[in-house]
Amino acid sequence: MSKSIRALHIRHVDAGSCNGCEQELTALTSGYYDIQRHGIDLVASPRHADALLVTGPVTDTMALAVKKVWEAIPSPKLRIAFGDCALGCGVFQNGYASEGGVKEADLEIPGCPPEPEMALPILRDWMRTHRSGQKAYSEIAPDSQSAV
Amino acid sequence: MSTSWQMRNTEQKGLNHELLALTANRHGNLLASWLNPLDGRQLFLELEVSNGSFPSLASVMPEVAWDEREINDLFGWIPTGHPDLRPLVRTERWPQGFFPLRSLSEPPNWRDVEPDLPSLKVEGEGVTIMKVGPTHAGVIESGHFVFSLMGENVLYLDAHLFQNHRGIEALLETKSVNEVAPLVARVCAADTVSNQTNWALAVEQLAGFAQPPGLVRKRIILLEAERILSHLNDLAQIPAGVGFQVAHQRALAMKESWQRSLKSLYGHRFLFDTVLPGWARSAPSEAVLDAVGKLRSLWVPWRQLVRGHHGFRNRIKGVGVTPLERVVRLGAQGVAARAAGKPFDARQSLPWYRETFQGAVTQGSGDVGARFRVRLEEVEAAMQLIEEAAVRLRETDCQEEEFSLPRELSGRAVTFTESPHGMNVHDVTVAEGRISRYHIRSGTYRNWPLLAQAVAGNAVADFPLINKSFELCYSCNDR
Repeated sequence: MSKSIRALHIRHVDAGSCNGCEQELTALTSGYYDIQRHGIDLVASPRHADALLVTGPVTDTMALAVKKVWEAIPSPKLRIAFGDCALGCGVFQNGYASEGGVKEADLEIPGCPPEPEMALPILRDWMRTHRSGQKAYSEIAPDSQSAV
Repeated sequence: MSTSWQMRNTEQKGLNHELLALTANRHGNLLASWLNPLDGRQLFLELEVSNGSFPSLASVMPEVAWDEREINDLFGWIPTGHPDLRPLVRTERWPQGFFPLRSLSEPPNWRDVEPDLPSLKVEGEGVTIMKVGPTHAGVIESGHFVFSLMGENVLYLDAHLFQNHRGIEALLETKSVNEVAPLVARVCAADTVSNQTNWALAVEQLAGFAQPPGLVRKRIILLEAERILSHLNDLAQIPAGVGFQVAHQRALAMKESWQRSLKSLYGHRFLFDTVLPGWARSAPSEAVLDAVGKLRSLWVPWRQLVRGHHGFRNRIKGVGVTPLERVVRLGAQGVAARAAGKPFDARQSLPWYRETFQGAVTQGSGDVGARFRVRLEEVEAAMQLIEEAAVRLRETDCQEEEFSLPRELSGRAVTFTESPHGMNVHDVTVAEGRISRYHIRSGTYRNWPLLAQAVAGNAVADFPLINKSFELCYSCNDR
């Protein structure tokens, strides 16, 4: 196995999704796609995570929760925007209580919702490129914010 | 006036009519709509708000407690005499005087405070408070739950939802009728066809368009395909709640297989953008029948697996019980209501469904097991409905009358369908081709208060199981 393959543990936060993105993320963990086989997993705590994955256009009420989860992930860390709403090109981004998506995402996975068949290679290829060791991911992670 | 508003509404409730929706419009009118489930007739009640308030119905009709709190939050009209007028949708961050459905203005300047709201808790010796959410350990939607516990047992659950509130109704009210469909399709991934159909029915009703039989059959196939998809998801989650992994994974695999069929038949794994006014996406009948056949070949052995597992059946018995009396009082809908013995399914009140619909599937025990079994029966009934509709569609004349959207569409229509989560209602007002009011009352909305009550008295470790047996949405609830 190439040394470029390193684990990527993802913490998911729903910030105003329609539940389509959540269902497709769950599908990624099912036997058909089995993302764990690629060293990718969705974890239950931000303390165990390398990346934050946000779905939805980021509602005003969830914005603080998203920030807190981000701060609780140990550095270096990455942000993933999953689905058109989080990318800022969904249909609800102009709702009055919607922030219009994730700012400064390191990886964007488009789709409404992203189909697992499309999302899986994007995640896998991105992990291989950016976590290979040649490009230290401190470069792509913002200044390490101290965890709360 | 107060008594007459109360009397007129409680009279409807007393006649066993179903409340379609209770909302308001920015002109200062409260709008209640009722359905006679036997003949499908609707009754509209209106009340003018006076001095910024209106008489609350919540004390005599607890099912509208949330609707009135929502009106209080979004319109700023006060339901006088409401027993619990805490904010429901708005948070501490909302600026004073910002009532987004009363006047559409610039985006608000949110206050720089935490969004947390005061919660209702039990106090006393030995009571512990457990807060869960809004983010969760699993991949699910966001909601905040405050449990009051005595040891292992739940005394009281205060559910704080609306974390996902985006302001969809206000956003829809800036749109022309041509722009509505993609938004409505994305209000809820689990109930998308139901939402799309409600919008289409509203436009068609206002335009005086009678749906030809082919269009009706295409829609029945899509609506039932969505019911199967959503029920498969929920049927997969219930075994997961008791650690029955084989049943869980096999049901997820079944769901995936069905989604792949939907993708190849209709181009989308959740059926987004498949229904428009005057139109529904169609697939060749043979391909539809093949897809159902393929699903059935996975379904039959899975159903035998869960039916034959005594441990599983025991585990889902007597947990999260909802007595019928409470279901009726809270106006609960869908699977949760039918599992407690309420024989209502909105399909029986829709003339275009009546031809094939076999009647509501009911159980009596109102526990997790009953909700599981209602879904089992409904999946099988849905497979039959699809097959029947596909066969009939083959015999339908494919040259059907085309729909053309009138340029200056105006009027109000209240439309409904039975979504996988219960009766889903849209109350739509259009003025000269633009939306002036768009209210969405999902099936889920009426069931959240019921879920909170169903949890009390159970072990807190059973909350995930009970929650999954309701499998309520957040997105279409929060909007």
